[in-house]
Amino acid sequence: MVAADSLLEGRPVTSQRHVLNDLVTVLAGGATLALFAMTLPQVVENLRKIAGRDAVLDRPEDLMLYEYDAGIRKSTPGAVVFPQTTEQVSQIMRLASSAQMPVVPRGAGTGLSGGAISKEGGIVIAFSRMNRILEVDVANQRAIVQPGVVNLQLSEHVSHLGLYFAPDPSSQKACTIGGNVAENSGGPHTLMYGVTVNHVTGVEVVLPSGEIVHFGGKAAESYGYDMTGFFVGSEGTVGIATAITVKLLRKPEKVATLLGIFESVDDAGQTVSAITAAGITPAALEMLDGWTLRTIEAYCHAGYPLDAGAVLLIELDGLREAVEEQAEAVREVCLQQKAREVRRAKTEEERALLWKGRKTAFGALGRVTPSYYTQDGVVPRSKIAATLQFIGDVSKKYDLIIGNIFHAGDGNMHPLILFDIRFADQLERALAASKDILEYCIAVGGSITGEHGVGMEKRDLMPVLFTEQDLDVMTSLRNAFNRDNVLNPEKLFPTPRMCREISGPARNPVLAQEGL
Amino acid sequence: MSTTTAPTSFASEFRAICGVDHVVEAPKENILGVAPSIAVRPGSPDEIVAILRFANEHGLSVVPAGGFTQQQTGKVPPQVDVLLYTSRLTDVEHYDSGDLTIGVGAGWTIAQLSARVAADNLFFAGDAALSARSTVGGLLATGLYGPHRHGYGGPRDYCIGVRFVSGDARKAKGGGRVVKNVAGYDMMKVLIGSQGTLGIITSASFKLFPALRQTLTFVAEFANAEEAFAFRDRVLHSPLDPICLELVSPEAGTLLEAGGAWSILLRAAGSDAVLARYRAELGTAVSREIEGQPENNLWRAVSDFSHLVQEGHPRSLLISMTLPLADLQPLLDGLAWVAHSNDLTLAAVGRVGVGHLLIAMWPAPDAEVTMVNFVNAASGLRNRLPRDASMAVLHCPPEARHHVTAWGPMPTDLESMRKVKMTLDPRDVLNRGRFLF
Repeated sequence: MVAADSLLEGRPVTSQRHVLNDLVTVLAGGATLALFAMTLPQVVENLRKIAGRDAVLDRPEDLMLYEYDAGIRKSTPGAVVFPQTTEQVSQIMRLASSAQMPVVPRGAGTGLSGGAISKEGGIVIAFSRMNRILEVDVANQRAIVQPGVVNLQLSEHVSHLGLYFAPDPSSQKACTIGGNVAENSGGPHTLMYGVTVNHVTGVEVVLPSGEIVHFGGKAAESYGYDMTGFFVGSEGTVGIATAITVKLLRKPEKVATLLGIFESVDDAGQTVSAITAAGITPAALEMLDGWTLRTIEAYCHAGYPLDAGAVLLIELDGLREAVEEQAEAVREVCLQQKAREVRRAKTEEERALLWKGRKTAFGALGRVTPSYYTQDGVVPRSKIAATLQFIGDVSKKYDLIIGNIFHAGDGNMHPLILFDIRFADQLERALAASKDILEYCIAVGGSITGEHGVGMEKRDLMPVLFTEQDLDVMTSLRNAFNRDNVLNPEKLFPTPRMCREISGPARNPVLAQEGL
Repeated sequence: MSTTTAPTSFASEFRAICGVDHVVEAPKENILGVAPSIAVRPGSPDEIVAILRFANEHGLSVVPAGGFTQQQTGKVPPQVDVLLYTSRLTDVEHYDSGDLTIGVGAGWTIAQLSARVAADNLFFAGDAALSARSTVGGLLATGLYGPHRHGYGGPRDYCIGVRFVSGDARKAKGGGRVVKNVAGYDMMKVLIGSQGTLGIITSASFKLFPALRQTLTFVAEFANAEEAFAFRDRVLHSPLDPICLELVSPEAGTLLEAGGAWSILLRAAGSDAVLARYRAELGTAVSREIEGQPENNLWRAVSDFSHLVQEGHPRSLLISMTLPLADLQPLLDGLAWVAHSNDLTLAAVGRVGVGHLLIAMWPAPDAEVTMVNFVNAASGLRNRLPRDASMAVLHCPPEARHHVTAWGPMPTDLESMRKVKMTLDPRDVLNRGRFLF
C-alpha cells in the first residue's frame, strides 16, 4: 500500500487547487492510487471548451473503444478528446498538467505494446481529426503531415509524383504517422530503408508544459543536438508530435519478389545468413514457418505451398540491371542452401498476392485462435536458426502453439503465441513463454524490440537489457521534459520496484548456459 | 560553485586514476589557442568515470579528444583544464562479420576500422577527413561524414549502439549490437553531433556493408553552377542510385586536382551491365570516367577537402552547412558575391543530393585581406542562410576567431537542447564555452 501523503510529496500545489475539489481515487485492490486536482467532469467540461462540444467522449460505452490497442493490455480512460489544431493540443496539455491528469496520445490504436493505452481514468488525445497532409515539397523530397495521417495514405497521395513514404508496418492501411513516430515503427522494407527515424527530419512538438517547439526541419540533418532523432521512438514520453516532416523517396524502377521454399525452418534460417554473407542486401527478407503459412493460405490463398517447412519472401528493388543480377544471385544462394524451389512473381498481381499473405497474417490468425500475443525480439542474423529452435522448445515447454512470421533479414523475430485469454493459466503461460523468448534474444546479443516499442508490456524486461545506470540516464532525460510524468506515465521504463524484482542472477537455464 | 583547483594538485589525482605514464602536464596541444593544464589518457570507461567525477567536484573543464582533427571547431573556450584523449580505448567489443556488425572502442581510427573489416570483404561507411588520424569517438561526437553519405547515410544511420560516460560521470549505453532495435531512448542520436558536450563516447557498434566489388566515377563538367544543379536534378529524378553525388566548384577542383570547372562527381557501384546503364543514362554530360587507384585517390581527396584547404590556405575560413536541397544553388550564387566583395576566393564541395555543403574562403590572389573581410564574409554567409539551414565554422583565421560567430542558426529549439545539456552535464564540465551555451 502506498500512503496518500507520500504521493503528495514533491507535487506542485497549483493555484487552481484551492478552487477545485481534490479527488483521491483508490482503485480496485488498493494497489493503484490516483490523485487528481480536478474532478473528471470538470476536466471534461474544460476539454469541451478547448476542442468543441462534439470533440470529447466520456460515456462508458464510447470509452470502451479506446481501452485497448492491438496488444493484450486494457485500461479504460476517463475521457477521449479529438483536437483539431496544434493550439488545442497545447491547451489540453496545459489543462492536464495543471490538473495532474495523465494523458496518452493515440493514433489508430494498432500498436502492439500498449503504447497508446491510457492510465486508468486518464485522458486519451486521439488524433483522427488532425489528419491533413499539410505540404508536399517535391523539390526538397519532403512532406509535412499532421500526426493522424494514415501511413499508406501518404504514399498513395504522392504516388502520381513517383514518390512514396518508406516505413511500411503491416498495419500501414490503418496506422498513423504520429504513431509511427512515437514507436519508431518499422516494417518489411526497413531492411534496406531503415525505420521511421531514418525518414523523419523535423517535428513540431507540444511539450507536457503546453509549450510548442520545433525540432529540425526540411534539411536532412542539422547542427545542434539531434532532438528529432531523440524524439522519434520516445514512445510519447517526451512530448506530442503535432506536425511531422518526412522524407519522400523515389519509387524504384524495378522490383523483383521471390519465394524460396524450404523443407525446414533451419534451412530457411541458414539461407538468411548465407544471403547476408553473399553481400546481397534485399529490400525485404521475410520468413514464414510452415504452420503460419498454412494458416494464412487457408485464409487468403496467397499461393504459399501447403507442405513446406518454411518459406522466405525476398524482395529486391532498384535499378533494373542490378535487380536482375541480385535476383539471380539470391536464387542461387537459396538453391545451395537446400531450397526445394524458388518462385518469382511474374506479374504485379502475383507480387501483391504474396505480400497480401504476409500483411494479413494477423487477420488469418484471428480465425484459428481466440487470442495471440506477438513478440518483437531481435537477434544477430547468424542466430536466427538457433533462435527458431529455442522458440520450438518454448512452445513444447508451455504447451502453446507458436507461429513465426518475421523480418528475417534484420533478425527481427515475431513469434506469435496462441492462447485463449478466457483461461487465466493460458495467459500466464503465454506471458512466461514470451519472457523466455525475449530473455533468450538478449542472451544472444539481441534486443527485446525491433519496431513495436517497449510500451507497457516489455518495461519489466528493460532491466535485463539495460543497467540501472543506463535507465537512470534515460529517465533523467524524460524527467527534463516530462517531470511530473503526466504524459504517458507507466510506459517504456520500469518502476523502481520492477528493477529490484528483475535484477540479480538470471533464473532462466538457457541464460545461464549462454554465460549470463 | 566550486573553485578551480591548481593543476599541480590534480595531476597526482589523475596519475592515481590513469597511471603515471598516461598523464602529461602542460601538453603541447592547444584548443583554439588555449593551452590545457593537463592531458590524460584513460585506459577504460571506469577511469573516465573517475576523472569526470573529480572534474565535477572541482569545477574543472574537460575537452575530450580523439585524433585532434576537428578541434578548431566552435567558440574559443575561456579555459581548458583537462584534455582527455580516448586513444587507449581500443578494445574490440564484438565483431560478427557474418552479421555485418562490429563494436569497437572510441580510440580506433577510421582507417584502422575500415582496414579491419575490408579484410573480410566488408565496408565501413564512415569517411570523415583524415581517416588515419580521426577516431570513431570523434566521428560520432562531430557527426561528420564525407561523400559516401549520399549512398550509405551518416553516423546517425549506421551507428547502432553506443557506450558513454555522461558529463556528470554516469556510465551508460544506448542501442546494442543488432541492426534493428527500438528499446529505450535512442542515445546514439543524442550523442552523435553533440560536439562532446554531453558525454564521452567510449565505444560504439556499427552496421557494416558488403565491400564494393566494382566502382566507377563519372565526371560531368559545366560552365556554371546552374548547369551543374540541373544535372544533379536529372540524376535525382532518374532511377540511378549512385553511392556518391558530389558538387565541386572550380577552385575546389583545382585544390583536389580534379579539374577547374564546375563539376559533378558521380560514383556508381555494380557490374559491367549496371555501369553501362549509368553511362547510357548520363549521356554526353560526362566528360571523363575514373577508376582504380586514381578513383580512390580522388574520393580520398574529397573526404579530406577541409584538411586540404587548411594545408593549402592556412589563412582561410571553412564553414560546414546543412540545408534543404532546393536552397543549395541560390545560396551558392549569393556566396559568390559575398566572397567577391570581400576579396576572397570561394571554393565549395558538397553532398548535393543530401543537402550538405563545405564552403572555404581564402584571400584572392594579390588582395590585401584583413580580419574584417573574413568577419564580413562569415556574417554575410550567415545572413543568407535559408530557413531550416544550420552551420558550423570548422576553421577560421586566428585573428578573426573572436569576431566570427562559430555556430549559426539552428532549426531546433534551443531551450530543449539546453534541458538535455543540463540533464547530462549539469556542471558544464565537457567542452565548456565551446558550443551553444
